[in-house]
Amino acid sequence: MTALSLSRMDYDVLNVVVLKKMATADAVTAVSGVDPTVVSDVLAALADHGLVVVAGGSALPTDGAESALAATAADRYAALRDDDAVAGLVDRFETTNAQFLTAMSSWQQVDMGGRKVANDHSAPDYDAKVIDRLHKLVTRLGPLFEALAGHDPRFARYPERFDAVLAAIDAGDHDLVSSPTRDSVHNIWFEFHEDLLRTLGRERTE
Amino acid sequence: MAEVLAEGYNVFDTSKSPSGTVKYLFSPADVISLIQSGKLAEHILLVRGGTTTFLAPALSMGAIGVITMSGAPESHLGILSREFQTPCVMTAYLTDSESRYVVGDTDEAHFEEIAKALDGRRVRLDCTDHEVGRVVADD
Repeated sequence: MTALSLSRMDYDVLNVVVLKKMATADAVTAVSGVDPTVVSDVLAALADHGLVVVAGGSALPTDGAESALAATAADRYAALRDDDAVAGLVDRFETTNAQFLTAMSSWQQVDMGGRKVANDHSAPDYDAKVIDRLHKLVTRLGPLFEALAGHDPRFARYPERFDAVLAAIDAGDHDLVSSPTRDSVHNIWFEFHEDLLRTLGRERTE
Repeated sequence: MAEVLAEGYNVFDTSKSPSGTVKYLFSPADVISLIQSGKLAEHILLVRGGTTTFLAPALSMGAIGVITMSGAPESHLGILSREFQTPCVMTAYLTDSESRYVVGDTDEAHFEEIAKALDGRRVRLDCTDHEVGRVVADD
């Protein structure tokens, strides 16, 4: 079966559902900026096409969702994929991503004589160093965000989300570093990475 | 002493020792079906990789334990399992097999062998060691 080619709006909504794996219409609006009534209509149409399943008020992607996005991305981002400036920045992102994963692990776990134990967050200086590291790593993505947004303005929402979450962390909401259920640094980074790979037509590596 | 069926990286030390029937999840549809069945908490979830991103809804809805056949504790799934405090054994290998996962050099037979041996088996996860996570027979 040939994968469906999606309209720009359908792509933007389905992309958020696939990135979040499970998303309410409000969550899609918060990330995409698409009007909530439009999101609801688009989700209903995507469900009719068998690309999402709505359960318990949330949309979940079906097996056909990723292939529909991939097929559409191949056309939509053909010029971006040929952009050497983007390619160079993406190569550098791989290094930054590895450093980010290490930083996230050091937020969750502390090395005690070679043994990893849960970080109980009782050492403010240690936590502040990790947060400072996260600031620096996010800052390093600036040129990549800019280059991608030059091809598609939706990528400009990532730095906006990072700015908001880092400001909230600096104001004391440290749960936003790694919370799996909020728009945390980890979730935003992970979504960006997956979005980037799909945009480029690449697969994750272990 | 209970038989250790498989071992791998222990993502985090925990005294939690969940037991359940191993359920191999191959695709997003498998995860949706399991969540909709209402039987998520009866299963230890087996997936192929640490980058198996479709598992996230299962973790947020109360998965009790996870086994992966590739991937590192620093991966996205490792980070999520620590956040949800869901015991997780990564890059598990069968203790009675010579086959081991090697990045970029592992054929399908490796994954199929593990899935065949564990899928449907009742097991318990032992994640008390700071390095090695164990999948123990519980039937």
